[in-house]
Amino acid sequence: MHRTDGNTAEIEFLYRQHGPALLLFAHAITGERGRAQDAVHQVFLKLIEKGSLRQVADKKAYLFACTRNAALNDSKLRDRNAPLDTDSAWFIPPDRDYAGEQNLRRALEALPHDQRQVIVLHIWGELTFSQISDLVGLSSNTVASRYRYALAKLRDSMFAKENSCANS
Amino acid sequence: MPTPDDERFEAYLKQFRPLVPEPLPMVERSHRARRRFAPGAWAAAAVAVLVLVALTLHIRTNRAPVTETIGNAGNPEHLQDSQPLTMRSANALMAKTPSFKAMVDDMAFRSQTVPLPKGKRSAVAVLRKEKIKL
Repeated sequence: MHRTDGNTAEIEFLYRQHGPALLLFAHAITGERGRAQDAVHQVFLKLIEKGSLRQVADKKAYLFACTRNAALNDSKLRDRNAPLDTDSAWFIPPDRDYAGEQNLRRALEALPHDQRQVIVLHIWGELTFSQISDLVGLSSNTVASRYRYALAKLRDSMFAKENSCANS
Repeated sequence: MPTPDDERFEAYLKQFRPLVPEPLPMVERSHRARRRFAPGAWAAAAVAVLVLVALTLHIRTNRAPVTETIGNAGNPEHLQDSQPLTMRSANALMAKTPSFKAMVDDMAFRSQTVPLPKGKRSAVAVLRKEKIKL
């Protein structure tokens, strides 16, 4: 790192801390790991150049908002309805449960994109419904209900697949 | 309200950790520069070696005819009529002949047969055939 001032060090720390969730979030929007990676890099490199993070109160929510904008801008430039890249892994599975990881990926892919964003933001981004509502521009109630719908769908999708696999 | 089932399911989902992103490009830049330098240095070294080899070969191939010419110049039999007299050939001739006079004679009385174009005769040949009455 060329600039080793406190601001850059803080941005690096934030990158290590929130990078994985931000990457997953960008991946859930763009549908492609490479583009998601580019979007996250773009956000952090801009932050390092401008050094404007000190004035931000809620840094985590701000990072998710920036990543969302970058990913959406990228999706606007390209094919907005591009299918998700479900061939490459999204997660590090517990106990090497790669089948479970693939199952989760497929279930996330089956969700509508707005529900998928809310699920990712709440579970892996650990944002509150209030923070998510600010981010996506919806009321907290709408976000919460969207989350519950998404969670139920996700569970049905995952366990239905597991049951069908067990039966077959 | 989240049900206990929801909470358990959330806990299960959280066990799947998102993949770590690649390092920021700025952090990698110095490593990349080093990585770029290494092949560049190897390429430059290879080019330098090739140039040296090419130069050596070029010098050798140029030197070979020169030595050959010098060797030939040392041999008076190799002196041809059309070959211009140079200091080198004169020196070579002097080394082979017993005396300076012999060398000068050799050079002076060498037959110089300059080929004439077709249909032309030399003045000496014309004069030789003419019967001049004095």
